[in-house]
Amino acid sequence: MKTKYILYFAIVLFLAGSCKPVVDDFTPESGSADLTSYVAVGNSLTAGYADASLYASGQEYGFANILAQQFAYAGGNGTFKIPMMPTEDGVSPHLTPNGLYFTTKLVVGYSTDCIGNVSLAPVPAVPNPDQAKLGAELTTSVAADGPFNNIGVPGVKVGHLLAPGLGMLNPYYGRFAANPATDALIGEAAKVNPTFFSLWIGNNDVLGYASSGGTEDITPFDGPAGVGFAASYTAVLQSLLASADKGVIANIPDITSAAFFTTVPYNPIVLDDQAQVDLLNAAYAPYNGAMAQFGLPYRIEWKLGPNPMVIADLDMGIPVLALNIRQIESDEMVLLTIPQDSIKCAFWGTQKPIPDEYILTAKEINNVKNATWQFNKFIKESASDYGLAFADFNSLMKKVSSTGMVADGITFTNAFITGNLFSLDGIHLTPQGNAIVANFYIDAINSTYGANIPKVNVSDYPPAVLP
Amino acid sequence: MRKFTFLLLSSVFLSMTVFAGGYQVRLQGNKQNGFGLVGTPLSVGSSAMFYNPGALGFMESKIDFEFGGSAILSTAAFQKAGSNYQAETDNPLGTPFYFYFAGKLGKLITLGLGVYTPYGNSAKWESDWAGKNLIQDISLTAIYVQPTIAFNFNEKFGVGLGFVYTIGGVELNKGLNYSGDAGVNLKGDATSFGYNVGIFFRPVENWSIGLNYRSEIIMSVEGGDATFTVPSSLQGVIPTNNKFNAELPLPANLDLGVAVQITEKFMLAVEFDWVFWSVYDTLSFTFEEAGDLLDSKNPRKYSNTFIPRLGMEYAFSEKFQIRGGAYYDTSPANDRYFTPETVTLNTFAYTLGLSWYPNEHFGLDLSFLQTFGLKSDKTYQPDNFGGTYQTSAIIPGLGLSFKF
Repeated sequence: MKTKYILYFAIVLFLAGSCKPVVDDFTPESGSADLTSYVAVGNSLTAGYADASLYASGQEYGFANILAQQFAYAGGNGTFKIPMMPTEDGVSPHLTPNGLYFTTKLVVGYSTDCIGNVSLAPVPAVPNPDQAKLGAELTTSVAADGPFNNIGVPGVKVGHLLAPGLGMLNPYYGRFAANPATDALIGEAAKVNPTFFSLWIGNNDVLGYASSGGTEDITPFDGPAGVGFAASYTAVLQSLLASADKGVIANIPDITSAAFFTTVPYNPIVLDDQAQVDLLNAAYAPYNGAMAQFGLPYRIEWKLGPNPMVIADLDMGIPVLALNIRQIESDEMVLLTIPQDSIKCAFWGTQKPIPDEYILTAKEINNVKNATWQFNKFIKESASDYGLAFADFNSLMKKVSSTGMVADGITFTNAFITGNLFSLDGIHLTPQGNAIVANFYIDAINSTYGANIPKVNVSDYPPAVLP
Repeated sequence: MRKFTFLLLSSVFLSMTVFAGGYQVRLQGNKQNGFGLVGTPLSVGSSAMFYNPGALGFMESKIDFEFGGSAILSTAAFQKAGSNYQAETDNPLGTPFYFYFAGKLGKLITLGLGVYTPYGNSAKWESDWAGKNLIQDISLTAIYVQPTIAFNFNEKFGVGLGFVYTIGGVELNKGLNYSGDAGVNLKGDATSFGYNVGIFFRPVENWSIGLNYRSEIIMSVEGGDATFTVPSSLQGVIPTNNKFNAELPLPANLDLGVAVQITEKFMLAVEFDWVFWSVYDTLSFTFEEAGDLLDSKNPRKYSNTFIPRLGMEYAFSEKFQIRGGAYYDTSPANDRYFTPETVTLNTFAYTLGLSWYPNEHFGLDLSFLQTFGLKSDKTYQPDNFGGTYQTSAIIPGLGLSFKF
């Protein structure tokens, strides 16, 4: 009898050994959307631009590519062609007084400033790059690899999508346009017979103005398609809806909360020597006298400790050009691109005013916010007019920049580098930031179309590479 | 009898909504293991030192010696919320063990020494899993050493008191969101003190009642080793070798049990255990260097739990007994502060056991438990990480006893 029970015991053991915990499988569904063929339309964010450049892994980590991979679980055909850059170092063209100059992406490295201090900072992946090589990498046509599902092109504004011949002006489009001299970017969409699209456009319509310190124009709201924001946006949507009947559109985040604008303080001039304070105050006494004479409230005053920088501001409208300077207010913004060495060693902000292009004045900030609000109102109305999913990145950005947000144990804020969201250019996204954005799109699509598209693990994407 | 048992079982399972779990391991005697982990109202030898020192004096022999252990084969499965991502732990074998030695000093006094492991946790997720920034793997052990004295005032009533010295250790790995597989390894030891008191009472023939209280013990790791793996550019800010302090509570228990010898061969017992988990509110780490950056307070917000247990024994003879039991253990963890370092779910378990005494001095105890964590949606809000968890475990155990 004992052996019998011991045998029973062994049988129970054996049977129980095969029991494993089981969780229910996720059931992907596309709901009322058809995700078979997806086209991504937009600007640098859609293109996967990051670290001030367009490069291969950045394109692959772009939210559009992530979305395409997740759509493949819910009926997507798994094809998502990207006009891949032939380089991991990236290429970015800059118009300089001496012509085009190409730079590579930024990486975190050790940078020595004019005083000899070494610090961690974004530095070019390749200093003094071979211009001919970068030029060829940017302009060699990949049109033969098309048609492309990701037709995001860095730098484009909404009106650009409709412009024939954009490829001649914007090499990022020129490199994948079949006929750069005549094709319009929006025409690329129909080539992949899309059933679903994403459209994230409008950022450059305000960003161009903001990132140039207010020296470019904000796109006007009114005006015909190709000129005004509203008519252009509608024309783009109608063109997309001619082939795809469902899609997701996204609004414009408040770009002034991006690290690009919030990193450099307004008052980095730290004076610790009373003699220096006195010298500066003496030097600006004539300015203060002149302002008093004009009956204007502007005064430039120095004290021990941190001081606001002196900036050039042509909006002051003073007839003497050299007097259109003042100290920056605490609610005005300094662009991340300001040459720091010029502040430290070339008297920028003290003896020389900071040029307008590096500053977003209170008036300019107001213009950006007003335009963003107006464009976003139109985008939201368009979403409901056309029955499209709507991704409210303006709200997401507000949350990130006020309270921060967390995903998979990673905290996201708008802080430069440490905030995990913005790449080294302070305005485009890190791979983890792209994952956050992709999940946010998926939420919008799932709720609008009753779909069940799986989200990605944010922690699967790499953080900023530090030396 | 079967009908009665079934009714009791179903009423217990339907009415109970709150329970224990956490990192408690009550596998401290292979007779009790098979008996639904009921132990408070039993006098089955020196293993009473853990379950109820008040019953120690009621052991039948002058000298009693028990030792044994169990093998916990456990797995937790995870399905991430809103995602098709799944993960499963590859937990190392958990091996709680016990050793008890007791001897009678006359009729009144019994002395004993017990060594056992009532708390522990080992969870091992893959190092690159989605929750790597919360936990990759953790191993927690606590060994209790308990000298015990028990008094039998008469044949009906006994009390026992144990002084508990605890030696504990913890080691964990978690990822940090920096490039190059950054992470931290925390490893520390601690010792602490507590006590274990119990009352055992036989009001009438065939009935026994036990009440036991095991005190809370706070394990304080002081100067544990923290090893950070971060990119070299950060090593000036986050030193590679650091020291940390942390506190982990091992909660108090209050157990009340009743056993009835229904027939000469059949015994039935019920027990109710209260586990005072609410002491585990926050897991804080402070670091010797770079504390401003590294110190953390991590909410756990555990709640007290209540466990009903049922145990049955059928004695074919003096030499051979079989046992069965069941219990329902609720999770002390908060649904919104549930971390994958301790995957503790509401759990149903059944237990089986047998004892065989080939002669009057030697006994062999076998036990077997199977636990079923009830699938549940949980989130760790501070890290915005959640999904559906499920757990299961099988736990075979083997014990030997000697009496003289």
